[in-house]
Amino acid sequence: CLLQAQTRTITGKVTSPDGSPIPNTSVRIKGTGYGTTTGFDGIYSMNVPAGSRVLIFSAVGMGDVEVSIGDKAVINMKLEVADRSLSEVVVVGYGTQRRREATGSLSTVKGPAISDKPVQSFEAALGGRAPGVQISIPNGVLNNPPVFRIRGTNSISLSSYPLIVIDGIPTFTGDFSGTSAGANALASINPSDIESIDIAKDAAASAIYGSRAANGVVFVTTKKGKQGRARVSYDGWVGYTKAQRLPDLLNAQEYTDFKNQGLKNAGTYNATTNYFALTDGPDGNPINTRWYDHVYRTGVSHNNSISVSGATENTNYYFSLGYTNQQGIIKKNDFRRKSVLFNIDQKVNRIISTGAKLSYSNEENFAAASSGSLPGEAFATGGLGRVALITAPSISPYNNDGTYNTSAGLIGVMNNKQSQVGFYNPIITLDRNRSNTEINHVQANGYIQLKPLSWLTFKSLYGIDYLYADNKIYQDPISGEAYATIGFAQSVLGKNKRSVWTNTLSIDYEFASNHSVGLLAGIEDQRTTGEGFGLSRQSISDPYFSNIQGGFTVNNPVALSIGSNYLYSQFGRINYNFGKKYYLSGNLRQDEYSGLGFNKRKGLFWGVSAGWEITKESFWTSAGINKIFSSFKLRGSYGKVGNINGINNYESYSTYSPGLYGGLATIGYARSGNPDLTWETSNKTDVGFNFGILEDRITAELSYYRNNIDGLILDVTQVPSAGIPNAIRTNVGSMYNKGFEMGINAMVIQGKDFTWDAYFNLSINKNEITALAPGLPFIIVTSPAGASTNEAVSITQPGYSIGTLYLIPTKGVDPATGRRIFVNAQDRDVYYAHPGQWQYADGSAAPAISTTDRRIQKNTVPKQIGGFENTFTYKNFELNALLTYQLGFHIYYGTEAGLRDYRFWNNERAVLNAWTKAGDITDMPKNVFGDNYSNGSAIPLDVHMYKGDFLKLRNVTLAYNLPKSIIDKVKLSSARFYVSGQNLYIWTKYPGPDPETSTNGNNPANQGIDRNQVANGRTVTLGLKLGL
Amino acid sequence: CKRDSLMDTKPTSDIPDLSVYSTKEQIVNQIRALYSSFKNGQFHGGRFLIYNDIRSEEFLNEKTNGVTGLQTWNHTLTNTVAEVNGLWAQGFLAINNCNIFLDGMAEKGTAVVGDSLSKNYTAEARLIRGYAYYCLLQLYARPYWDGNGTKPGLPLRISGNKLRADYQLARSSIAEVYAQVISDLNYAEANLPKTYGSSAAELNTTRVHRNTAIALKTRVYLSMQKYAEVITEANKIVTASAPFTATVTPGVAHALQPDITKVFTTYNTTESIFSLPMTSTTGDNPGTQNQLAYYYSPASSLGGVGNGEYALNITGIIGNNIAWPATDKRRDFVKTTGTTTKKYFLSKFSAPSPYTDYVPVIRYSEVLLSLAEARVRSTNSVDAQAVALLNAVRNRSDATKTFTTGDFASATDLINAILIERRIEFLGEGRRSPDLLRLGLTIPAKSSTSSSVPAIAPTDKQYIWPISSTELDLNKLCEDNK
Repeated sequence: CLLQAQTRTITGKVTSPDGSPIPNTSVRIKGTGYGTTTGFDGIYSMNVPAGSRVLIFSAVGMGDVEVSIGDKAVINMKLEVADRSLSEVVVVGYGTQRRREATGSLSTVKGPAISDKPVQSFEAALGGRAPGVQISIPNGVLNNPPVFRIRGTNSISLSSYPLIVIDGIPTFTGDFSGTSAGANALASINPSDIESIDIAKDAAASAIYGSRAANGVVFVTTKKGKQGRARVSYDGWVGYTKAQRLPDLLNAQEYTDFKNQGLKNAGTYNATTNYFALTDGPDGNPINTRWYDHVYRTGVSHNNSISVSGATENTNYYFSLGYTNQQGIIKKNDFRRKSVLFNIDQKVNRIISTGAKLSYSNEENFAAASSGSLPGEAFATGGLGRVALITAPSISPYNNDGTYNTSAGLIGVMNNKQSQVGFYNPIITLDRNRSNTEINHVQANGYIQLKPLSWLTFKSLYGIDYLYADNKIYQDPISGEAYATIGFAQSVLGKNKRSVWTNTLSIDYEFASNHSVGLLAGIEDQRTTGEGFGLSRQSISDPYFSNIQGGFTVNNPVALSIGSNYLYSQFGRINYNFGKKYYLSGNLRQDEYSGLGFNKRKGLFWGVSAGWEITKESFWTSAGINKIFSSFKLRGSYGKVGNINGINNYESYSTYSPGLYGGLATIGYARSGNPDLTWETSNKTDVGFNFGILEDRITAELSYYRNNIDGLILDVTQVPSAGIPNAIRTNVGSMYNKGFEMGINAMVIQGKDFTWDAYFNLSINKNEITALAPGLPFIIVTSPAGASTNEAVSITQPGYSIGTLYLIPTKGVDPATGRRIFVNAQDRDVYYAHPGQWQYADGSAAPAISTTDRRIQKNTVPKQIGGFENTFTYKNFELNALLTYQLGFHIYYGTEAGLRDYRFWNNERAVLNAWTKAGDITDMPKNVFGDNYSNGSAIPLDVHMYKGDFLKLRNVTLAYNLPKSIIDKVKLSSARFYVSGQNLYIWTKYPGPDPETSTNGNNPANQGIDRNQVANGRTVTLGLKLGL
Repeated sequence: CKRDSLMDTKPTSDIPDLSVYSTKEQIVNQIRALYSSFKNGQFHGGRFLIYNDIRSEEFLNEKTNGVTGLQTWNHTLTNTVAEVNGLWAQGFLAINNCNIFLDGMAEKGTAVVGDSLSKNYTAEARLIRGYAYYCLLQLYARPYWDGNGTKPGLPLRISGNKLRADYQLARSSIAEVYAQVISDLNYAEANLPKTYGSSAAELNTTRVHRNTAIALKTRVYLSMQKYAEVITEANKIVTASAPFTATVTPGVAHALQPDITKVFTTYNTTESIFSLPMTSTTGDNPGTQNQLAYYYSPASSLGGVGNGEYALNITGIIGNNIAWPATDKRRDFVKTTGTTTKKYFLSKFSAPSPYTDYVPVIRYSEVLLSLAEARVRSTNSVDAQAVALLNAVRNRSDATKTFTTGDFASATDLINAILIERRIEFLGEGRRSPDLLRLGLTIPAKSSTSSSVPAIAPTDKQYIWPISSTELDLNKLCEDNK
């Protein structure tokens, strides 16, 4: 070729098929590092060295196009949105890859899909949006972390929550609250700040995160500025949330009659000493309290975000402020977040670039007291969800003189001649008590990147993630919660700090025109420290005081904790493709983690994958299949990753703990460690294919996966008489998840005025335990953990899926006598007459039915989950509807046992069908006061197990984008108004408020239980997005 | 690159296993921790006493709450019930802590504290271990008289367990376990300090000394119906004539206090041979739903400090106005509530939340009554000293009643009077069920407003507790009670 020193200028405009300019399109000269990007108007201008032959245009969401330069001075380019979904960039851990080149199983959710949803944390809006991703909103308590599972439940004792990596830094997950308010760590991210969420599901995609990858890895990328002038945008919505599908309860008259009938049936009714009676209220009419009205409310919420962003040739910035104030459906349950995010990237010179991120959020999570809905709270005596159900409707929270109706901590009985007709008075609790958690969360990082050669990059990234939790509880001495303790206050401060330093060297090289190689090598150093301390005080010295700083006579330290852990890693990746046809990649990571056993800290994790883009083969074209399939890629991967999420800092140590004996110091043997403890190992296989048909108007991905988990960590209880203080964590169990996933994206109609996009995904998963520890035939877990053994309704046993229901079988109600028929462990029918009379059918005495008569029942893990989303646009209108569903699972509706309890508890109206005379065919046993066996309050019965299958209209949004003519007049760049509904309708046969439920949060071993929880709300929002 | 010091991070708020024998103070702290696990609210700091009282006819269940002993009260326990598993676990935890300590002393501790202190400490640990075994026998094993100790006792473990291992072990016979108890108490008697000092009233009550071992032996031998041994042991710490006191010097000068009510407010008098101290600091008191006052004292609206879980049974000892007249000071412990429907509660334990009453293990009055009973049973006569001992206990609370030998037509009459005195004197102190069982008496029937509980004959399966289901599940060599 000619040696010429001259350059010349080429200009042009890049447009989309409809003629609108595409900003930020990369225009580069093939085989060199020279290039530029188009401006806001789609126009570019660049100097091209003589001899340059080919220009490559590429824009996010558009297909790459190569054009030969020739002697042209103006090259305009119309980019097609051809293989839309395959051309995107995905985050793969320590870098990005083009989706079409990725061979791992990755799903992407874009920011706009979640940014305007009325949720506290972004992941709560992910349900139904990606195959293999299960999100279940446990209940209506604000900021309670959703159940988040990728490809099933992958651990029993450790966490099944995926690793969340935000802008390169693995962050804290879970509930950091020490109070009755939820405090999901991920709520610190303003959803409006999220550019995209990439979900790595198989070993190929996740293995680069080694010992933390078993549950999948979720990469969150926050927004950066886009080339062009500064943009200012405002997003805001206001929403209204109401509880829905609350059980229908007895009113005061029905309650009084029903309970009196119960007393008569029990033979204990006494017209002077033992009866139920109405009480007249201040208006002279009998009191008839609807307790729902005192506990629930219509929550009003609003959310506001303002961002300023932009980019020049060398600088790219994004700055945002957010404020949200959300009210839950339970009174006093509020969430407020103030957040700020600043992202900047600066090119210093041709080689060096640098950048930083600073985000800070302050989240205040408010609650008055226990809702009874967070993990561990289900039997909280004053649980607000429960109190609203069981308190007698015939009493009022207030006496007729306006004072609180309370007696010795319990709500007063008024005219009822009973010792008790409710638990705590919820009005006192709501008026006087607080249980709040404030989180201050800083996530920041800075990097420097050196690119001495176009194919060689060195990057050093240092990041911090500091989460401070400030918990404050106050319980007034007249409230039920603190009546016994004569006032109670507790404050606990928790500090969680993480620093991560990552150094990577990467090479992207193409040679011999068809061979493309990417190499990555890195080391990472991560230290996490935690510290907590608190004070609890009781016996208030004067009712004037209402905080921890006031006067109390009993003081105790609480929540003392301190610890740290350290993770040191070396990792590498190799990607190779030949002619964009054959793809190979390998990931390798060595992790060394301080929390593991002394000899088992270091381990190697890896994943390999291959892909084959068949459409590039000549036989494909010659066979004419390309007329149907515009793309078709086969892929497969295999690898080994681990799980350490949930292993505490010092599990390998046996330790002595300090204590007191009569005020004097003690050091007692308190914990047996396991010096051989190591990570759970997950061997993941994934095969699948992606294809596009009709020029990628329809794209689909299908995968089959299998995840074999070995060395499952279980808390292995030792023989009790050995006297070992704790169940020792040991790697013993194994289980698998296998399944099939499918996602289909279709641009059904692409008209000038009308478009219709549809997205459907489904995942079928099977979970089975294959082994537990020797001498540990099964694991029975109570709900919640630590509850009475009578509440143990979940069993995890080889041959079954995790957390299978374990309940006593029953055979209905005997039409002759109205007694519940139980089936005991010997398969004999046992009839129960309250109190205490257990008989066989022949009338002979039978041993009492107890938890030993439980049987393994149905699975709680859904067999199929999915989502179906449709987006219609007509001119400036847009309608989006998302349906989600879960199928093939059962729920233990424990709340129903309480709703049918024949003690003083208020009941659901269904009890009015109770058996009354011989011949009655009913499922509701004879109403005998005091009976808590026949309806399952005292012992768990299969009558409360229901199919949980549901289809939910999760979200509908109707939006209107102001036409350009108007926007221009008011000097805006965009304006969008919308009205949106969340959780609008549920199609289900489940009788409880919401089959998407989890009393025990993310705990897998006792999932699928709905016990005394507050319902999920239905939300309607009105929103506005403005671009200046 | 890797920072090795961070990789070797050690806990800072707990002490790793091998670092607890470096100083004498550390070892004393470990000794006190043995008491702490023994006084856990699931064991002797609360529930052990409560279960042994509510099994009997003296108490009525008020709350029908399954987590506060309902099934113990109404004799419907099964292996899986929480109290059966909870007490078993905590009892053996206390035992294993003693074993771990004893192993550690042999291996390292003796060298640190020297031989003589080491013997003191070893004796303390053995006393707690032995007595904990005795406690578990009272609920989980048949009484000694049934087969003379040949029935299944407990898995007998006398070395420490720390790591995960195969801990299968069959139950030793009752006699074998009692032999270990006696052996531990004998060692304790020989090696414990005689006293912690004449001014160390608190330690003399809350740490065990020579007299504690002797006093506990009177209880153990009484359970075995070895009355001669009861007399031998009691005579070591009871003078031959009134006022009956412990006069061996050096040694703690045990004696009855003039006012019984003071014994339950001033916890460290010489009457309280061994009590478990409580403070308001969390972890240093029995904890939620384990406290004596929480169970027995009525709600504050009724003038109590507790939750009124159990009321006194009017057909129990409190209804016996002849044997227990109103003039008796101990009637002050019975609190009457209500006007039309009266209820009676025990207010012996009266410290409010967080319930810091010391929990009695053994008081001097029991040694006197046990000695009296043993004398009558071994002589089978209306023994004059036995009557004097009975009077010592009765007269300090009711000066109006002094028994004479003429009051008793037979030895049986005198024994019955002593047994009634025990019911009055130790109401709420966990003695009633062991007293019924050691003598093979039927547990009487009882009725509350909500239910009636049948009598439990000595042949009934519910006469003793079933074995922990967790133990049976994991220890295949352990058999259940039949």
